[in-house]
This record gives sequence, structure tokens and C-alpha cells, in this order.
Amino acid sequence: MWWGGRGRSFNIPPQKEPEMGSMQVSRMDEPRSPQTSSCPALRCLPGERVLAWAPGVRRGLEPELPGTLMCTNLRVLFCPQGWQARQDSVLNSDYDFSLSNIGRLEAVNGPGRPQILRPGSLLKFIPDEILIHGRDFRLLRVGFGDGGLEPLAFRVAMAIVQAREQNSPAQHYEGMILSKACCGLGSREPPVPLLETPEDWEAERRRQGARGWRVSTVNERFDVSTSLPRYFWVPRRTLDSEVRKAFSHFHQGRGPRLSWHHPGGSDLLRSSGFYEASDPNREDIRAVELLLQAGHSDIVLVDAVDELPTLADIQLAHLRLRALCLPDATVAEEKWLSALEGTRWLDHVRSCLRKASDISVLVTSRVRSVVLQEQSDRDLNGLLSSLVQLLSDPGARTLHGLQTIVQREWVASGHPFLTRLGGSGGSEEAPVFLLFLDCLWQLLHQFPSEFEFSEFFLLALHDSVRVPDTPTFLRDTPWERGKQNGQFSSYTQVYTPGSPQAPPVGDLVPRPLTVWDWSLRYSHQQILQFYNPCYEPHHSDSCSSREQPTSVAPGPPRSIFLFSRGTLTPLNQLCPWRDGFSSLMSSSRWLPRHNTSSDSLADQEWGLPPHWGASPLPPGLLLPGFLGPQIRLWRRCYLRGRPEVQRGLSAPTISGLLDELALLQGLLRTWSSRSSTSDHTKTKDPDTPPTPSR
Amino acid sequence: MLGKGVGGGSGSKAPKPSFVSYVRPEEIHTNEKEVAEKEVTLHLLPGEQLLCEASTVLKCIQDDSGQHGICGKLVCTDFKIAFLGEESTLDDNEPQFKNKVIGENDITLHCVDQIYGVFDEKKKPLFGQLKKYPEKLIIHCKDLRVFHFCLRYTKEEEVKRIVSGIIHHTQAPKLLKRLFLFSYATAKQNSTATGPPHQTVMFDTIKDWHWELERTKGNIKYKAVNANEDYKVCEKLPAYFVVPVSLPEEDILCFQGRGIPIWCWSCHNGCALLKMSAFPKEQDESNLQIQKAFLDGIYKTIHNPPYETLKTEDLSNSFISLQEIQTSYSKFKQLFLIDNSSEFWDTDVKWFSLLENSNWLDIIRRCLKKAIEVIECLEVQNTNVLLIEENASDLCCIISSLVQVMMDPYCRTRFGFQSLIQKEWIMGGHCFLDRCNHLRQNDKEEVPVFLLFLDCVWQLVQQYPPAFEFTETYLTVLSDSLYIPIFSTFFFNSPYQKDANVHQRQLSLPLNPNKSSPKRGFFETDHLIKNLLGKRISKLINSSDELHDNFREFYDNWHSKIVDYHGLLLPHIEGPEIKVWAQRCLRWIPEAQILGGGPVAIMNKVLEMMEEVQSLQKKIDEKHNSLMTPPLDGLSLLRKPARLSSLFPFALLQRHSSKPVLPTNSWKTLGDEEDLAKQEDEFVDLGDL
Repeated sequence: MWWGGRGRSFNIPPQKEPEMGSMQVSRMDEPRSPQTSSCPALRCLPGERVLAWAPGVRRGLEPELPGTLMCTNLRVLFCPQGWQARQDSVLNSDYDFSLSNIGRLEAVNGPGRPQILRPGSLLKFIPDEILIHGRDFRLLRVGFGDGGLEPLAFRVAMAIVQAREQNSPAQHYEGMILSKACCGLGSREPPVPLLETPEDWEAERRRQGARGWRVSTVNERFDVSTSLPRYFWVPRRTLDSEVRKAFSHFHQGRGPRLSWHHPGGSDLLRSSGFYEASDPNREDIRAVELLLQAGHSDIVLVDAVDELPTLADIQLAHLRLRALCLPDATVAEEKWLSALEGTRWLDHVRSCLRKASDISVLVTSRVRSVVLQEQSDRDLNGLLSSLVQLLSDPGARTLHGLQTIVQREWVASGHPFLTRLGGSGGSEEAPVFLLFLDCLWQLLHQFPSEFEFSEFFLLALHDSVRVPDTPTFLRDTPWERGKQNGQFSSYTQVYTPGSPQAPPVGDLVPRPLTVWDWSLRYSHQQILQFYNPCYEPHHSDSCSSREQPTSVAPGPPRSIFLFSRGTLTPLNQLCPWRDGFSSLMSSSRWLPRHNTSSDSLADQEWGLPPHWGASPLPPGLLLPGFLGPQIRLWRRCYLRGRPEVQRGLSAPTISGLLDELALLQGLLRTWSSRSSTSDHTKTKDPDTPPTPSR
Repeated sequence: MLGKGVGGGSGSKAPKPSFVSYVRPEEIHTNEKEVAEKEVTLHLLPGEQLLCEASTVLKCIQDDSGQHGICGKLVCTDFKIAFLGEESTLDDNEPQFKNKVIGENDITLHCVDQIYGVFDEKKKPLFGQLKKYPEKLIIHCKDLRVFHFCLRYTKEEEVKRIVSGIIHHTQAPKLLKRLFLFSYATAKQNSTATGPPHQTVMFDTIKDWHWELERTKGNIKYKAVNANEDYKVCEKLPAYFVVPVSLPEEDILCFQGRGIPIWCWSCHNGCALLKMSAFPKEQDESNLQIQKAFLDGIYKTIHNPPYETLKTEDLSNSFISLQEIQTSYSKFKQLFLIDNSSEFWDTDVKWFSLLENSNWLDIIRRCLKKAIEVIECLEVQNTNVLLIEENASDLCCIISSLVQVMMDPYCRTRFGFQSLIQKEWIMGGHCFLDRCNHLRQNDKEEVPVFLLFLDCVWQLVQQYPPAFEFTETYLTVLSDSLYIPIFSTFFFNSPYQKDANVHQRQLSLPLNPNKSSPKRGFFETDHLIKNLLGKRISKLINSSDELHDNFREFYDNWHSKIVDYHGLLLPHIEGPEIKVWAQRCLRWIPEAQILGGGPVAIMNKVLEMMEEVQSLQKKIDEKHNSLMTPPLDGLSLLRKPARLSSLFPFALLQRHSSKPVLPTNSWKTLGDEEDLAKQEDEFVDLGDL
């Protein structure tokens, strides 16, 4: 049976509640003594205190669910009756709103206008209903019945207002550290290499087959740059002292380093902008050039900002999109499309995909070193390099591959998650990571059988960025993350002031939980849905191995190009500090795109006539479509708050078939195991629930 | 081979060997002989005649420079315009999906929408007599293909002949008897093999109507009548139709079928959907009185038990006008008829507002909404619904067919859908000839009403794929067959016209048989209806507020439940839910191709799993029966891992090296769409000749 899953992120059927009756009774018994009987079911996180609660009914979706709305010092959550007893995860992904995730809080009383509750505002009436609009596009509607419980509803609403007021990043940290204590999870191995040890980096380097590279420990104490990871890859021939010197001529010390090694031989590098005020000597320049050249004679510098939206653009578009997707958005149906266009969000998605697709062609078509250069190297570089890897590497399209990429290109590379998601209250908020997830969804939508993960996984990732229970997101730099984890001085740090259990055994530090420990927040059933039923694992990984002998003496580079506006422009030197260099950023930035026609880069690169873009592609390379009609709205994410719009979207036929398949296989299994004597009972059980076979 | 390996005009890189030739102007003449030798023969259908031809024409491939192209011959017959290039000689380049009648480079004359000529880099529409002949011909087709033919290297007299020939045969008004249909039928006459028995109900016998009445359990209150046998009463109505049992037969004769309620379909609760053609606007007061009295009588009859209360829905007044549909579609199609790819890039940024500006999606939404309103009346309020329109043959057809598709699961099977089209559109007298402008007699009458209907159905199909037996590809192919003049189905204005022409082919035809009821411009709205309605009826014309509330409640209520694919089906009509029929609109645009992606990737997986399910099912059956049936060899869904593109199955411009390798036998299992052309033959009644 296909469950439409309207309004929820997962299509798992609502389960019947066995203990309904008993719960009802206990609630009816002593409705006015909240403190004693209150939310006995809530399994608090360590350090979490319930501030207020009120029995209510989850509205807006069928069927309405009775339960309890609770406000704690960390989150607001709705507990359906009897939910805790059944749940195998601590947090409930469907009805949990971390305080920082609450975008708008509304209280409704009768038919009048809802009151929007901002921090500091005072509720003027006893609410019938509370609406919580999540910044992740979720919506929670809780209605309160009468029966003498109105004061509780009032109290919980005010508690939420106050909790939001007092909410601060510091509190996240507390919450996160504490949550470590409750890890009753078996494995000590993190599910995804966290890239916090040199071993992880070395293993990853081997996996990619990057033979010309080594792991540098020059930043082990974060003295080259606090935003860089402790370890990274540099060319094998470069000394750490050279690296240190060269990196000082880049913004924030984020010099060129390997991001990904293409099996065909090319290298994808990322680096921040040249620090133009510095005055390097000849040796330093030589070191910088060697790092950029990475043993190749063909170098392409990619201006990562060019043609992409600025951070302010992204933030504005996202705000507009959120306003448009609110359930009560007053956009007429026939004006919906132009309103959507007006947000420009899809336009930004398109430009990212287009650029990433161009870069993956550059990486694939020849053996060369492609350097992504962004002034800060912490936002769009991560987005582009992740997308390029997903487009050109079938291995990156698995669940594990994607998590590794996010961990490496975003988390370890110092994407300022906290600032960008508005956690630090600064003005530099810009959901670059969410833009990346949208691009990824477009790819998944266009190539439904190429990715091992499903839309649900992307949604889970989307919803995780603001959940303050792991140190993965909500930190700005690896340095901060490490500091909070007590990685540097783990012996002296006291972790768990409020936690009764689990002091570290001996000197073995319990591994910090990461967002990749999905079982923390998602049930087994939900995690099964992370897998895409349409996925076709790649048949032949016969990526033509054009491995260039990396031992070639690094002479002067034969060709240097700047990739900008969709074309390659020759440069006469790599670094801006030598004589007569007309600054990279200023000269080419505002040139119009040369070829307006469809002479796509793929055609130029492979020498094909321009009329047929999709031509003999190397196996494994995906070239996404980015025409107007091909970029879609991620409705399952953005329109989640509008139950009337939402409905099951991932091919219902497939899941139906899967069920049937499982049923038949189950039948077959029972038969073959059974002896032939019990023949006559066979056909009776078409209603047997299918056993999950995958 | 000609031009193989010769650098293209832009000369940037040496092209890889492929079936596309790169021809430099100067090489054309030296190679001319070779071309003649290599030329493919033109395949003519029975009865098809070659009219004119021109050689050394370059077919340009989505590029405005005019230097990439295939050299070949452009011919014009009385059926199609065809380009014979050498690419089709490559036998291993068989596309997976091929229309059996229309090749990749064929354009039937009826499919031509607009012809442009390029004079000194300027594009002008071509019509009538030309003083100057263009160096390039651009043909926009009604199925949204765009062809560029460069005539720069063609001999002058050939250019003159072919251009004026094409313009004359596609743009000039034609007589009905000149339709290719007739020459084809005459030539094909002796080889009439009666095909498999019809599974599509044709509604051309009274038995078919009885059958339909029985199926919908409408036979208690409604009866099939043969009053119009031999079209004695009215040439607009079919020979047989269904009216309320209590309607006296002489009433039918009164006003040539106007003003009488004609049954479309009965709901499970006994409520029926009816339609009525309104009276033309009448100046004469006494006539008005007579008509009023007549209508009052009619309403009285169908208001008495056993009939449910009646609600009228006047489609000429309160709904979309045909004019609106026409303007909207002409804007909409321009979004896809692009001459070169750079245009497409330019419009990208404004895509959504351009789309919205065309209003096409909104018109679809309004049709779906109207159908839901009607369903609400039938289903919830238990009333009959009477659709009124001037001829009851345009918007009436859309709404009544949509209601049936949404309410009656039979109409969601392929044969059910075909029967529905036969019943509501063909027998319902939709003027295909005028609406498709097949004869080029009056451009103003050209309104894509049927296409609008198909687009509405497509919305339903893409929202609820499991509820339909057919796929969107079926709908796309169906929309294409509107312009293939060997099927008689979509080439007449009424069943009368078809019968008259097909049976009395040899007799002299009355000129304009369809003009018996002269049309007065563009369906001026008929204010009469309102005046004529009795008091009781006008009360029922609902206050719109109430209607809106009812609608909303019904709609929300239905959508809050789990969908039953075999029951009532209501589409979502919110802003984000109405979409562009991408398969039909984007299939000829190479830039829109996503290699290895698109819905076909899912389709592949579904096939694979179906195969597995079937084989397991078979194993179980075997075990259950425990007697070994002879092994079937039907499960040969051998699919090699192939990268199909998102344009599947329409991507014909495949490059050699990336050619998908889906064997045709697996395609067949998708529901035999490939054989659609053959099955369409079932519509053709040419065997009766």
C-alpha cells in the first residue's frame, strides 16, 4: 500500500496506538497537576528541562493525532500519545523543532487574525491553536481542546516565546556535548570517516588513487589557518615549509590543496583568493606555482564566484522562497509561477548546476589541474567541488559517498555553518548548504536511477542542519569543532557535568556523535527509506585510466587558462604578484558571456559540432539539464507546510511493485521451506505483510 | 561517403566520424553526382503523388550559421513534405521509436503550422505569391518540430518550384474532397483486410449505445433513439443518441436537435450528465416565445421523477471562450518553437513568467476545476447536470469527457479512453476539420480544443500514473495523429459529414456540407439561455459563493483521504501542480535532452521489477498447480544496461556512439505504443467503401 504521506517527510503509515485508552484515562484523572503527571513519557536529553506542556491535537493532516505539546530549554516538540514507548530513537524527526529552527510562531483564537509571537511579545489571549513554522519549511499545528486545560495552552505558548528569547548558540553547544553522553549506540567506528585523523586522510587519498599527493600535517595546531582542517593533501614533492610559506599569501591562509583526484588523472583543487597585499619573494612564488600546478602542465583557474549568486542573493532568494511557501501565502494560483520565478531561487540553482557541469567537463576531458578559486574558499568552492564530484564520480553517488563528500568538502573544509544558517545572529546568513542540497535534488530528479540515496535522505540532511545534537553542523570552523569536542586536551576536559553516566573508560574518549549517526533521530523504518529503490549500481567502472606519470619533472606549465563566463581565456602567468599582471578578479569579471549559443563547453572540449550537446560522454559523467523547464521546485521539501499541495511524489508504482515483489518472495520462501504436505494452505495469505527484502 | 571527416564551417576541431556530413559550400558541386547516387528512394503511400522536388538542399541542424547540415533532396507530395538525406541509409541507426507512417524527416501537409523564409538574414512569414525566393526555409510544425532547409545551393528554378509548391499545398484553402484521405482510401481499397475485432466502441450503431447505457446503468431513465437515422433531423447530431425516456420523440424533431437534453453518461447513483445545444440568437419575438415554451416543456419533463433535480452549467457564458484558448495556445507554443538554441537560452531566465503569461496552464486549471464542480453536483448533491453550449461540441466535449475520465475507471483504460473519444468527440460532433484548420479555410476557427483536453488528461496521468492503463507517450502519439490524414477519425466536422463523404465518395459532393448551420463568428455568447430559463431553474443557477464553498469542501475532503485508483479521481489544481507537458513540448529540442536521466530511468526499473514479479508469479503458479505447464518463452525482457535519454522515446537525433541499445521487444511490453499507428487503423472506416 502506498501511503500518500501528505505533509510528512516520510511515507510511513501512521501506526495504531494500542495504549490509547490508558493514556486517555491517566490524563483525565489529574488534568490539573501538571508538574507531577507531566509528560512522563519524554525521554529528555541530558541537561534538558521541560519548561511547560499542554495536551493538544496535531491538526492539519488526517488523521488528527492526540498528544502533548512540550517546550523544553532546547526544543519544542509534540509527543503523540504513546509515542515514546515505541520509539527506538531519542528524537522524533517529525515533530521536533529545535528552538533555532522556529521561523515563526502564531497563536490563533477563534476566527480572528492570528497573533504572531515574537521574542518578547506577550500573548493577549488563550490560544485555540498554535502554529509553528519551521525555518526548514515544516509546519506544526497543534490545537487545544477545552476542558479546563486552557491555562496550560497559554503557559506553553509563553514558554516557547521565552525559550526562544533566551536561546543562544552557547546553549546549542551545551546541548550537543551533553548529548554525547546518551550514546547507547553500539559502534565506536563513526559511520563516515570524520577526517579528523591523518589516517582518515591517508585512507581517503589511497581510495581516490591520488598517487602524486601526500597528507600534510602542517596545520596540525591550526596555526596556518583555523578554518582549514588539521590535515590536508598537498603535492608529494612539496615540503611542509614550502606549504606554510605559500599558504601565507592566500586569504585566511587557505592555499591550494587537493579536493578530489579524478580517476582519469586530473586533479580538482580549491583555494582562496591571492592575498594581493603581500609581497612574496621569488621562492614563494615558485612554491605557490608548484602547488597550483600540482604536477600538471595544463592548468585552469576557475573563478568560482563568476556567474554565481552572491551570498546576499542566496539569502534573499531563500527568504522569498520561504515566504512564498508559507501555507497562507497570498499568491493567486495563476500567479504562482511568476511568484516562484520572482524568488530567483531556481535561477540560482540553475547557475550552480551549469557551472558545476562545465567544471566537470574540464576535469574529465583532459588531464589537468583545475583550481577552484573563491575569495574565502569556504562557500561556493565547497558547493562547486561537491557537485563536480557527484557529476563525475559514480562512487560519490552512493549514500556513503555523499556523506563523505559533505564531511570533507563542507564540514572539514570549514564551511561556516553557524554563521550561514543564522545561528550566530550576524548578518552573514546565507543558506549555501541548502542551495547545494537543492542542486543535488535536481540531479536526483533528473537522473533517478543514478543515486543510491533517495529524496528522503536529502530531506533528512536538510532537516539536520539546525538540530543541535551533534557537532557536525552549527560550527564555523574545524578548530571550534575540535575545541568543543575536547580533541586537543581531551584528558583535562570535563565533558558531562550534568550527566550521571558514562565517564570515559580509561583514556578512551567516546567518539563524538555526528549527524551521520542517523539512528539517533530516525527510526529503522525511516532509515530504510534513505535508499533509492531505482538505484542501478554502476556496471562498469572502466573509467579510462589515462593516468599521467606523475613523476614528470614539473617544468614550467605549458598552458594556463582562466575559466570565466563559460570560456577559457589564456593567462600569461599564474600569480598576480609579478609584473604587469592585470588583476585576475577585476579584468575578466564583468565581461559578458561570449557565446550565447549552445556551444556548450562539452562540445568545445571534445571537438564536437555544437548541435548535439550530449555526445559520447565518458562513462560515469552526468551532464544535467538546466533549461528553464528542467529546473523544478523541490516540493516535498518546500511545500511540506501545505498539506493541500503535498502528496506522495516518488514513483508510487515502484514502491507498489517492491511490496508485491517482497510478498511474492516471502511466499516462495515459505513454500520452499515447507514440505509439500501443507500444500492447501498456500494461497490463503495474500494479506501477509511483506517482509522487507531490501 | 560524402563530406565525411571534412571540417565544419566553424572549423574549430576535426569532427569525429559520424553520420552527419559537414559540407562546405564549395564542395557541394563537385560531389553532386555522388549525392544523386546515394539518394534514398522516396517511399510513397498508396495513392500518394509526388508534386515537386528540389535537390542539394541542406537540412540545417539547430544552428543558425547554416553550415552544419545534411545534404539531400526536399520533396513535396500531396501527403507530406519529406527530406531525403543520406542519414537514413544507415540501417544500424534505427531509432527505438518510429512512427510507421511518418518518418523522422517527414512533415504531413496538415502538420505544417507556419512557414518562414529568410531573406538576407531576416525572417519573414511566407504566404501567397512570392516575388522573391528565400535562401532558407523554416517550417514550424503543429507537433512543435522546427525544420530549417537551406536553399542557397539549390538551382533557382528548383527553389521556385519547391517553395511555391510547399506554400500552395500547405497554406492555400483546400476543398474537402482534396483531402489525401480520399486518395489513400481509393488506392487502398482493394487491400482492405479487416483487422482484429474492435475493442473500441465506435458508437455508430444503436447497439453500442445500448451497451453503454447498460454499462452505466442509465437504461432505466434514458433511451437510445434512432430518430436521426440517415441524418433526417439534423446533420450535426450522430445517427443514434440517447435522451430521457419521457422525452417525446416529436420534440427531437422540433428544432433540429437544439434544445433537447442529450445524455452523456450516468453516475453510479443514477445522476446523469447531459448536454444541450442552445438555440441560436433569435431576433424575432414570436420565435423567442416558441423557443421559451419549448424549453419550459423540456425542463418540466426532466424535472419530474424519476429524474433528479437539474443543475445547468452554461459553458458559453461563464467559462473560457474559444478565443481565449486560441490566443493562449499561440503564445504557449512559441515557447517551444525555437529557431535556434540561443533563443532558448535567452528565455530561460524568464521562463516561468513567459509560461504564466501565455495563460495556457491557467486554462487547463479552469477546465479541471469546472469538471470537479460538475462532479461535486453529481456525486454530492445528487443532481443531474446539464451542460449548455451553442453547438455542444467544444467545451462541452472537454468537460463531459473530463468528468468521465475522473469518475469512471473504465475511461482510464486504453480502449475505454478511445471509446470515450469516439463517443464524446467524434459522435459528439466536435468540428475537427475546422478546429484543426485542416482545409486552411478559416484561420479564426482554428482552436486546439482537443489538444487542451489531452493536456488536461495528461495532468491527471502525471499526478496519478497508476490509475491509467496508458502512459503519457500514448497521449503524445495521439496528439500527433491529429495531423496524419490517413485516418478518418480526426478529419471531419461531424459524423454526418464523414458518412456523406466516405460513402458517397464517387457522387458529387455538395459544397460545404457542414455549413448547414452557418456559424456566426466566434461563438458570441448566448444570452438567450438565461432569459428562457424558468423561475425554478434560475434559482438553481447557484450563487457563486455557495458554489465555491461546496467546491472547496468537496475538494479538500477528497484530497485528505487516501487515493483509490479505481474510484473517483480528482486532480490537484493548485499553482505548483499544473505542469507543462514536457514530453510533448520538449521532445524535439536537443538541449533538453538529459542523457541517462528522466522518467525513462524509472520506467526501466519498473520493467525490471515487473519482470521479476511475473517470473515469481509464474513459479508460484507452477508450484501451486504442481503440474508442469510448458515453459513460456515470453519473459525475454532482455535489457542491456543502456543509457537512455530523457527525451525517450522521441530522441531521434542520436549520435552514433551514444546510441541507446534498448531492444525493441522490451519496448513492446510497455503497452505496445509502438503499434499505435496500427491500432489507430481501428478508427478508420475505410473498409466500408
